[in-house]
Amino acid sequence: MAMYNFEQKYRVRGGTLLGGDLFDFWIGPFYVGLFGVSTIFFAALGTLLIVYGAAIGPTWNIWQIDIAPPDIKYGLALAPLKQGGLWQIITICATGAFISWALRQAEISRKLGMTYHVPIAYSFAVLAYVTLVIIRPILMGAWGVGFPYGILAHLDWVSNTGYQYLHFHYNPAHMIAISFFFTNALILAMHGGAILSAANPQKGQPVKFGEHENAFFRDTIGYSIGTLGIHRLGLFCALSAAFWSAVCIVISGPFWTQGWPSWWNWWLQLPIWR
Amino acid sequence: MAEYQNIFTRIQPRGPIQTVPLPHGDDTRLGGIHSHLFGVIGDAQIGPFYLGRLGLASLICGFIAFEIIGLNMLASVNWNFVQFIRQLPWLGLEPPPPSLGLTLFPPMNEGGWWLLAGFFLTTSILLWWVRMYRRAVALGMGTHVAWAFASAIWLYLVLGFIRPILMGSWGEAVPFGIFPHLDWTASFSLRYGNLFYNPFHMLSIAFLYGSAVLFAMHAATVLATGRYGAEREVEQIVHRGTAFERGMLFWRWTMGFNATAESIHRWAWWFAVLTTLTGGIGILLTGTAVDNWYLWGMKHHIVAPYPHMGVPDPGPLSAIGGTGAVK
Amino acid sequence: MKSMDTIKALGAVAALAVGAVAFFTLERPPVNVVQRGYRGTGLDEIYNPRHLAAQADLNKVPAMLPQLQVGPLAKTVYKNVQVLGDVHVGEFTRLMASMTTWVAPKQGCGYCHNVNNMADDSKYTKKVARKMILMVRAINSNWTDHVKKVGVTCYTCHRGNNVPQYIWFKNDGPPEAGGFAETYTGKNLMIGPNHSSLPYDPYSIFLKEDPQTIRVQATTALPGGDRHSIKQAEWTYALMIHFSSALGVNCTYCHNSRAFGDWSESTPQRVTAWYGVKMVRAVNTGYLEPVQSLLPSYRLGPSGDGPKVFCKTCHQGAYKPLYGAAMAPNFPELYQPAADTTDTGAMPAAAPPTAAPPTAAPPAAAPAAAAPPAATPPAETPTAPAPAAPTRQPPQP
Repeated sequence: MAMYNFEQKYRVRGGTLLGGDLFDFWIGPFYVGLFGVSTIFFAALGTLLIVYGAAIGPTWNIWQIDIAPPDIKYGLALAPLKQGGLWQIITICATGAFISWALRQAEISRKLGMTYHVPIAYSFAVLAYVTLVIIRPILMGAWGVGFPYGILAHLDWVSNTGYQYLHFHYNPAHMIAISFFFTNALILAMHGGAILSAANPQKGQPVKFGEHENAFFRDTIGYSIGTLGIHRLGLFCALSAAFWSAVCIVISGPFWTQGWPSWWNWWLQLPIWR
Repeated sequence: MAEYQNIFTRIQPRGPIQTVPLPHGDDTRLGGIHSHLFGVIGDAQIGPFYLGRLGLASLICGFIAFEIIGLNMLASVNWNFVQFIRQLPWLGLEPPPPSLGLTLFPPMNEGGWWLLAGFFLTTSILLWWVRMYRRAVALGMGTHVAWAFASAIWLYLVLGFIRPILMGSWGEAVPFGIFPHLDWTASFSLRYGNLFYNPFHMLSIAFLYGSAVLFAMHAATVLATGRYGAEREVEQIVHRGTAFERGMLFWRWTMGFNATAESIHRWAWWFAVLTTLTGGIGILLTGTAVDNWYLWGMKHHIVAPYPHMGVPDPGPLSAIGGTGAVK
Repeated sequence: MKSMDTIKALGAVAALAVGAVAFFTLERPPVNVVQRGYRGTGLDEIYNPRHLAAQADLNKVPAMLPQLQVGPLAKTVYKNVQVLGDVHVGEFTRLMASMTTWVAPKQGCGYCHNVNNMADDSKYTKKVARKMILMVRAINSNWTDHVKKVGVTCYTCHRGNNVPQYIWFKNDGPPEAGGFAETYTGKNLMIGPNHSSLPYDPYSIFLKEDPQTIRVQATTALPGGDRHSIKQAEWTYALMIHFSSALGVNCTYCHNSRAFGDWSESTPQRVTAWYGVKMVRAVNTGYLEPVQSLLPSYRLGPSGDGPKVFCKTCHQGAYKPLYGAAMAPNFPELYQPAADTTDTGAMPAAAPPTAAPPTAAPPAAAPAAAAPPAATPPAETPTAPAPAAPTRQPPQP
């Protein structure tokens, strides 16, 4: 069995959120659980529908495949299968799979005596997706404003949806989200580099530990947030990036219909400048 | 609740300022204080700071660049300080106009200051890089952080130095300024036919998002196994304990695959490094090897086909009195 | 745990600040989405219905006087009728009354006319108005590719103002320190279109004669000598943002943004806009710049140039001016007469020239009344009928 030598003692019964002992077993390295089954169900159905959508579409070219949402005229109703209905079912499947996955993570956390940081972190990514294809369409009154499932098609949607607001870079939440993404990459490089450089020291030197990691950042930038703090900061930046990404798109349309540059007029008109 | 979830530090023991010895001949470290506020999330100790000659030179160069940019912005609102604050995000310092090509000494009011600020900023960054490298060596550590930093410098140099030289015009470079550099970014994509179709831009974004996913996964795993001491990561590398065993098994059971205490940091380092590495390649190819990314995408059959909507080109607009005008 | 309290306070203040800014600056659902391309491409117009309602109020068609195709030709009744001589007096009077409400509702006839001698050309406004009528005629007759059957009247731009609300002058920007400091970039200030930091005067570059090319996007996949710069793209971008703001639409009204320059990815509206650019240039060079010398200094811009038009002058935030209400066809005299219309003066001269407009005209709106018929025309002005004015008429001194 695909098992680490230390793994056996961790494979214990219980800890499930739902379903008791039903599906409380492993297949190879994978834990199954009730939510593993629901994940497989949604993921398989969704994937098959995407393949079906490609089959009835004009191309099998992986870059060009486009499963598009319904026309705006359908509003928040169900659309015919070949006019966006597929997209709607796939969206349900994807959301179902993502939520199942988060719950499965929660069950595995319980089994391993871990707190729920991972499923909570993962729900921010799910939130961003749900914002794009469910919350924002509901706020705008049509599933048709959701993004299409296609590699280049979704980029076209991003481009056009951005230019609906003339210059999307002026979206303040977009600015914040990008800043968090960049900061996240920066501190990820710093953290990864710090650990690797401590564990892989100069030739002939002993392996270094937390004291040296701290000393390196104190010497170079005046402060080291510490071994625990860096993970708090990293989680904060990564989740903030996802959160503000969701904010930046949900305000575009439902809460702002004009060009984003003109939003900044409020700043220019503050009475303090007089 | 928040404290329990390993988000905040509950008890802060306080001892003397801690540090490790420096090799003989290095400068001495300066200062070092404790901050209870910092200690709530991170390490309470601030400093001690090692300045050194490289650090001093780098800071001076950075300060000069900062001043050049700021004073030119202030000049663009006629030294009006209120307007400077009010319009700060709008203000900028532009590279020389394209007509001046790669002139080394353009007029100061036509990009000269930009070139000078760029010189000092680049000097500052490169000195800082050397400093990062030498501090790592001085502590007997690997130089991984410095090389990751080099990847970011690569993107910076491509944007402001290498690509403009290849294009034969400083005017291709990014201006300094908050909104101005955003205008440049959008116009860059407009001029070169949609950067979304640039495969290296796709890769860079994938690594950028991937970095967020990785850091969230890693940081959440460490915090969730904090009660087992997961934050002592190098200890877990050289002598795996239950903290990382649980963390590893978490991902193994979740997705059938897991990293180790060391390899997760290699994944992290590479994702972050590749973000700017591929980004720089994508910028470098734009205008030099590819002039319109959308048409490049057409050429390589990646453009999604939509039901046709287009109209014929009525002709060049520059010809006044064409169709529609009375001759 | 004093630090915890500090952190909580900081968090609360930040959340409150973000919330307040969001609450006071953002809009709210519901919004209207108008699909204009294949589903899922994001080719949609997004409207705030509350903004639209306000816009609709601002773009209402004013009450129009009924047509009066009666009376002798104006040139036979009034002196010094240079442009509208071949219009029947009833129609002529109606137009004069309408123009008063469109352009000078407060000042009345006296804004353009010497009320003691209506034929007198002493006021600059009268001479400008004459030129503007030629302009309106040229637009309605020669630029149907842009104005279609909707056409334009004085009201399209003026909306009751002496000078249209939305015009542009050459803009060198506010004072800068100059000297050694960076200057004259034409951008990076809060006055760019849509409050961006983009170039604030793309109009002088693109909307006059001998314009710089607007198209900056490469037309080949691989480099082929296209030297358009990113900086040029910023100027085009600024102009395009003006287009969008002027029409109350977004970029996707004309373009599929995945390939901005590609006509095979564009909407028919882009062709209309293309003619619009040409029309605006022709109007600026053929009509607005020539009247600059007539204008008093207080009508000129900071650089001493006269007012000029751009998209917003007519559109004023609507995708079609006045949301497509066709005013102009009700005023046939605002179209260029066919070449042979000069001798159709056989209409009965029954109606008195003073035929008062029945509705909606201000008291002083009977400009023709004071003109004694068949007097000697003023010196250098011929009574010849208005020529079919070419779009680009040379400036008249």
